[in-house]
Amino acid sequence: MTLLTTSVGSFPKPPYLTRARAQHSKGELPDEGLRALEERATREWIAFQEEIGIDILVDGEQYRGDMATYFAENLGGCEVSGLVRSYGNRYYKKPVVTGELERPGAITVDWWSWAQGLTKKPLKGMLTGPYTMMDWSFNEYYPSREDLALAFAKVLHAEARDLERAGARVIQIDEPALSARTDELDLVVKALGAVTRGLESKTITHTCYGNYDTVFPYFNRLPVDQLDLEMSNSGLDLLERFRREPLKKEIAFGVIDVHSHVIESPNQIRDRIERALEIFPPDRLYIDPDCGLKTRTVEEAEAKLRAMVSATRDVKESRGLR
Amino acid sequence: MVSTTVVGSYPRIGETPQEQRLRRALAKFDEGAIAEEELRSVERSIVKEVVEEQRAAGISLPTDGEITWYDSQSHFARHFDGVEVNGLVRYFDTNTYYRQPVVRGSIRWREPTVVDEWSYASSLGAGPLKAVVTGPYTLASLAKSGERPRHETIREFAEAIAGEVRTLRAAGASHIQVDEPAITRNLKDVKLLVDAVKTVATERGTAWLSLFLYFGDVAGILDELAALPIDNLGLDLVQGQKNWKALASHGCEVPLTLGVIDARNTKRDDPRGVARSTLSLKGKVPLAESYVSPSNGLEFLPREKAREKLRLVSETAKFVEAGL
Repeated sequence: MTLLTTSVGSFPKPPYLTRARAQHSKGELPDEGLRALEERATREWIAFQEEIGIDILVDGEQYRGDMATYFAENLGGCEVSGLVRSYGNRYYKKPVVTGELERPGAITVDWWSWAQGLTKKPLKGMLTGPYTMMDWSFNEYYPSREDLALAFAKVLHAEARDLERAGARVIQIDEPALSARTDELDLVVKALGAVTRGLESKTITHTCYGNYDTVFPYFNRLPVDQLDLEMSNSGLDLLERFRREPLKKEIAFGVIDVHSHVIESPNQIRDRIERALEIFPPDRLYIDPDCGLKTRTVEEAEAKLRAMVSATRDVKESRGLR
Repeated sequence: MVSTTVVGSYPRIGETPQEQRLRRALAKFDEGAIAEEELRSVERSIVKEVVEEQRAAGISLPTDGEITWYDSQSHFARHFDGVEVNGLVRYFDTNTYYRQPVVRGSIRWREPTVVDEWSYASSLGAGPLKAVVTGPYTLASLAKSGERPRHETIREFAEAIAGEVRTLRAAGASHIQVDEPAITRNLKDVKLLVDAVKTVATERGTAWLSLFLYFGDVAGILDELAALPIDNLGLDLVQGQKNWKALASHGCEVPLTLGVIDARNTKRDDPRGVARSTLSLKGKVPLAESYVSPSNGLEFLPREKAREKLRLVSETAKFVEAGL
């Protein structure tokens, strides 16, 4: 199998779900009503991925708000803060760690099992990594950043084990904060290792929009089987460095800019894949968007994914790859 | 007497619908549903609220909360010639983003950036209000300037910020602060910073001038900073833990703004404990002429926590005063 296609995790929520979430937060829609619409949106996204022929699926995270607070809401010792500004007129809530972290029960397994039941293709289990959870949280309890990151790693390891027991063969652990503090990269490796230790599934870590130059020497040290990188937005320059210092693991190569409304042309995507093929062997090269697509509209996300799958198919045909 | 101040930014929205009116107004403005004057009027009502919140908490030298700034970099760059504003980039190690200035030609001050905002906030009365500008070294460090020699970019930004300081002074600003967080990441650049701040200081006239350095320590360059033509030196004593030891061992003759209340974490600081640590500097630094403040701008906290931190600043200052 070569040039398998996949996605990073999130897909946009259809307008009916966005409206329902707003109603639910005001107490105007009961939990069951929201859940039914989250399931409908998940079904639609699974069906879409199957229709266009994506190889490794995601559930699209229709039931998650923010990637960090989703876990905070389901952990003991963790609360959710008031709103803080990200940029412009965008605000988000952060986890607040107020006590020892505990996982009263599995967090993602129910949704994963339900969504995997909709498809015969593999569906990724999706976790937010321990370093990112730590970096994006207010820490009112643990004595140091390292202590908090390792406490998150402990509960996330238990979650990954539960996903594996439920049948997940691919588990992705997102670390978008990986390059936030370059003096803490050893801690990223240590905390991620505490999550993936002893797992039999294929493990992936995704990162994006960071200072890749500084992080580069750590890529081979990250204790996962596959590295999922945003490449089309800023990373194509990195290819030469990968030529000089080969990656010793699989790579999922982002070929779709998730921050642009513009749908990439087939030529543009083919060119990106061809350039990646100059460096990476096709059986270790996966094709996906730069990052989660949740900030795009449903129509934009669908058009971008269709273009990605179609361009990948063209490249495979022209090279006689299977 | 030990006084109280803030570093600059303040959360612009809170949890209640009333406290979220600026967010709604901006969304409506973006949709073309309200005119610019209406947006400005909402902004000003927030500035008024934020200034009153600071004064009510006992902050004797407040700011306008930087409520109208898009971010600390592009807000200035938009008013300078020779600089364009580009895509989003992570702001230091925070999970917030700024629009990156890109230098295209000679950088020149074109028009006032913060003067109107300062004038309005200052007109609300009840004592002096500190004007804040981003420093030239930080503007140059966070901008993209291609192959241009770095010292030239810093010098041109310094002249542009000097232009802003000149107009602030002409408008009546008596207290001006220059923020230079980027130097905490690159202490070896101290010579570049010193030259840039000197350029800005040429336009200070009789205004009180403070230089604030947050997001880390400046322990290795305290002597150079203390020799600058400034009236006050602001230090981050939370992320910059090494500053404590440097102050204790070298001392400092310049009055300080002591950033001792943690502005990056919601955890409640212990004002008695913080005051004890501060008082350990007695005899080494001019505490009686110094200010107590948060460690950096408060916009990284939810509004209700920022409010609490203001109160903690005041409580700490009272304990320090009592111990002098």
